[in-house]
Amino acid sequence: MSEAGAAREPDSGGINDNEVFLPDTNHLPPTVTFLQELPSYQSMLRRRPSTVRTRDGQGFVRRSPVESRSILEGLGVESLDRVQSIREYPLNMSQKRQLRDIQEANTKYLSGWDQWKQTRSKSWRKFLDETKELSSYLELWRHDIRNIEGKFGTGIQSYFSFLRFLVLLNFVIFVLMFSFITLPSAVSKHGVLNGSYVKVPPKSIEPQCTVYTVSGTKGLIYFYNYIIDLLSGTGFLEMTSLFYGYYTIDKVQFNVIKYNVPLAYLLTTLAYLSLSLIWIVKRSVEGFKQSLIRDEDQFQSYCNKIFAGWDFCITDINAARLKHSSLQYELKTDLEEERLRQKIAERTTDQKLRIYCLRIFLNIIVLAVLSGCFYSLFRATVFSQEKISNDSGKPNVDNLLVQYLPSMVITLANFIAPLIFSLIIKFEDYSPAFEIRLTLMRCVFVRLANIGVLLFSLGTRITSCASEKCTACGYNYKLYPCWESRVGQEMYKLMIFDFIIIFAITVFVDFPRKLIVTYSSWKAFQWCGLQEFAIPDKVLEIVYGQTICWIGTFYSPLLPAIATIKYFVIFYIKKISLMHTCRPSTRPFRASSSNFFFLVVLLIGLVLAFIPLGLSMTHLRSSKACGPFVNFNRSWDVVPYTIHTFPAALRKVLNGIASEAFAVPFFMVICLVMFYFIALAGAHKRVVDQLREQLVMESRDKLFLIRKLTEAQRHS
Amino acid sequence: MGQGSSESMKTEELEEYQVLLCFPLSRIHDTFKNMCSPGEGYREAKMTSEQVCSWPQLKVNPFRDRICHVFSTDDYFTFEDILGMASVFSEKACPWLKIEYAFFIYDFNENGFIDEEDLQIIIRRLLNSDDIKEEELISLMNHVLDEADLDNDGMLSLAEFEHVMTKSPDFVLSFQIHF
Repeated sequence: MSEAGAAREPDSGGINDNEVFLPDTNHLPPTVTFLQELPSYQSMLRRRPSTVRTRDGQGFVRRSPVESRSILEGLGVESLDRVQSIREYPLNMSQKRQLRDIQEANTKYLSGWDQWKQTRSKSWRKFLDETKELSSYLELWRHDIRNIEGKFGTGIQSYFSFLRFLVLLNFVIFVLMFSFITLPSAVSKHGVLNGSYVKVPPKSIEPQCTVYTVSGTKGLIYFYNYIIDLLSGTGFLEMTSLFYGYYTIDKVQFNVIKYNVPLAYLLTTLAYLSLSLIWIVKRSVEGFKQSLIRDEDQFQSYCNKIFAGWDFCITDINAARLKHSSLQYELKTDLEEERLRQKIAERTTDQKLRIYCLRIFLNIIVLAVLSGCFYSLFRATVFSQEKISNDSGKPNVDNLLVQYLPSMVITLANFIAPLIFSLIIKFEDYSPAFEIRLTLMRCVFVRLANIGVLLFSLGTRITSCASEKCTACGYNYKLYPCWESRVGQEMYKLMIFDFIIIFAITVFVDFPRKLIVTYSSWKAFQWCGLQEFAIPDKVLEIVYGQTICWIGTFYSPLLPAIATIKYFVIFYIKKISLMHTCRPSTRPFRASSSNFFFLVVLLIGLVLAFIPLGLSMTHLRSSKACGPFVNFNRSWDVVPYTIHTFPAALRKVLNGIASEAFAVPFFMVICLVMFYFIALAGAHKRVVDQLREQLVMESRDKLFLIRKLTEAQRHS
Repeated sequence: MGQGSSESMKTEELEEYQVLLCFPLSRIHDTFKNMCSPGEGYREAKMTSEQVCSWPQLKVNPFRDRICHVFSTDDYFTFEDILGMASVFSEKACPWLKIEYAFFIYDFNENGFIDEEDLQIIIRRLLNSDDIKEEELISLMNHVLDEADLDNDGMLSLAEFEHVMTKSPDFVLSFQIHF
C-alpha cells in the first residue's frame, strides 16, 4: 500500500499518466458522477432502501413503480447463496411484501420436490426461531446485563457475560458430578438400591494403611466447633459427600446393570475437564468466524476502532461522554504508539544494548520477587500442615487462622506482586500496549503458579515419610490417612477464603472509600478518588477461583455447587460495586478483545488444572483408607482393570489403538494433514495478495479512462 | 392508550411480521404500544424524525440524525419503518444486513461512497471534541484508507466496506440497539 500516498494527493503538480486526480479544483464532481454510472454502483443502488440523491442534483435516481417491480423480480429470481430468507434483504417493509409475493408466485414453477423442501425449510426455520426466543427468556440475568450494557458499554458488559458463563459452566459440572457419582453412592448407602462397599484385598496391604478416623465428630461438641468445621472442612464435614472419603461404594446393582462407581468417578472427572475445554474453545472461536486470513492484528485495526467504535446500545449520557473520551484516548494512544514504533526502529546499537541489559536486570528482579512469593508460600503451607497435624482434635480459633495461612499468603502475594510488576515495567521502555500485556501475563503467572506451589508443597509432604521412604503404603499414612480428602479440604478453604475476601473488600474497603470521597472535603481523599473498576484484575480473580474449582472437583465432588453459588453472589456484589462504589476505568476495553483475553486466561487455568490432576491420578498411590480406589494402586488403574473384563475382541482392538503400531502412523497422518492445510493457507494468501494488486491496477485504469473521457468531453 | 388504537394486531399480521423481520415477536407489541398516540390506529400513525431521535435509545447516539434519515420515508416514520429499523439493529439480524445499513448511515454526503469528507465527519462525531489536531485527523483517515481501500481511489465503496467489516470483531456486538 505504499503507493497509496501518491493516489490521494490531489495536487501533486503536472499531469502525467501515473497521476490519478486532475490538478483541478472541481475535479471531484465529474469523476464521482461517472463512478455513479458504472454498473457496480447501479447494482448497489438497487439494494438501497430509499431514494438516492446526489449532491448537485445530477444523476437523480428515483425508482418508479414499474422499475421497482422489475428490479424486485430480478432479486426474487436470482438466488444469492448467502441469503436464506426475506428478512435478510435490505429493503423496506412494502418492498419485502412484494418480494415475498413474487417468491410465492414463483414457487408454482418449482417441482413438487423443491416445493416440499421449501416448506420444510420454512417450518424448520420457524421452529428454530421459536426455540431461540423461548431460550432467550431462560437466559440468566438478561435484563441486568442489558442495563449494564446501556449504562457502561459493551466492554464492561463482556465481564458480566463472562461471569454468567462461569455460573453455567459450574452448574453443568455440578450436575454431572452429582448425577454420576454422588447420587449412586448416596442411594446405595441409604439402602434404596443394593450396593457393595469397596474391599481392600487383605494380603497386599499393611493393616496400618487402612486406619482412618475423623477427629472431632464424637462426643460433646460445642457449637462454635461446627462453625470452625464448616469453615475448614474438617470434623463433621469431612465424612459427608462433600469430600472424597465418603465415596466407598464399589458397585451399585440396578436391575441387571452393575454400575461401577470408581470407574464412573474417574471418567466423570475426565468428562468435566474435556467439557470445559470444548466449551471454552467453542466460545473463543465464535468471535472469529468472520476473519479468515488474518495478517494484521484485527483488534488494533483502525477501521475496527472507527466504524465499530461506537456502542450503539449506550443509552446513558454519562456513558456516552465516557465513551467519547475513551475513544479519544484510544485513538491518540494508537497514534502515539505508531510514533514510538518508529522511534524504536531508529534506535542505535548502543541504546539497544543498554536497554536489553536493563531489561535482563529487571527480569531478574521479577524472578526474585516470584521466588520470594513461592518460597514464603511453601514455608507457610508446611508450617500450617505441621500445626494441623499437631493440634488435631482441638479445634479452636488459632487453629483456624493457621489453617487459612496458605490462603492468606496467596492473597497477599496476589495483591503485592502486580503492584511491583506495574512499577518495574515502567523502566523497561516498551510500547504501551505491550506493557499492558506483559504485566497481565506476569500477574496471571503469579496467580496460577501460586496454586501450583501450594499443591507441590502438599504433594511433597504427602509422599515423604520420616524414616522408611513410605514403602508400607506409598504415602505418609501417619499424617495423611486419607490424603485426597485433605487436598480437597485445602481447595475448599482456598475457595471459601477467596469468596470472603471479595465480599470483604467490597463491603469494608470500597463502600467506606466511596462514603469518604463523597462526604469529606479533604484534598488528599479527593485526589485518591474512587476505586476504579479495573477489569483485568477482576478477571484474574475469577479465573483463579475457577482453577481451584477445577482442581478441587476431583477431590471434593460437590465443590462446583459451592462455586456456582459463589459466582452467583459475586455477580450481584460486582454489579452493586459497579453501580455505586466504583468509577469506570478510563482505559478503554473493547468487548471482542476482552472476550478473547478472558477465555485465553481461563484456558491457561484449565491447562494448569490438568497437570496436578494428571500427576495425582497416575503417579501417587491412592489412599488405602478411604475413597473408591482402595483396590487399586493408582486411581488410573481402574481403567486397565475394566478393559481386562471386556470381551477378548474388544480388548484386542483397544490394546491395538493404544499401542505404538497404531500411534505412530496416526501421528504421521495428522502431521501430513496439518502440512496440507498450512500449504493451502499459504497458497490462498498468495492469491489474495495477487488479487489485491490486480484490484489496484484495475482501479487505476478505470480512473485514467474516466479522466481521458472527461477531457475528451470537454474538448468536444 | 386512546380509543382509536384499541385495534390490536391480528394474529396473521403478527405472523407476517415474524416472517419478514429479524425482530422477536414479543417486542413488536411493545413497540406498537410506544408508537400509538391516542386517537390514531397504528397503521396511520406517523412520527417525525425529531420525535424518534429523542427516544432514549437514540438520544445520545452521535449518528442519530443519519439513522433517522436512512430508515425514514420522507423524514416521517411509519410503524413499519420503525419495525424495519428495530429489525436491522436487533441482535438476531445477520451481519451483512447490518454492514449494508452501516454503510448507508456512514455515507454522510450520500454519493454512494465513504470518502474522506465522510471520514472526517465520522471521526469528529466519534470524538465529540473540537481540540483534535488536523494532522491527527489526516493520519487517522490515512490509516483507515490504508486498511480498507483496496483499489486505491481514496474512497470506500460498499464492497470494500463490507470486506473490512466482516473481519472486524467488534462490529456485530456494537451495532445493536435494543428497542
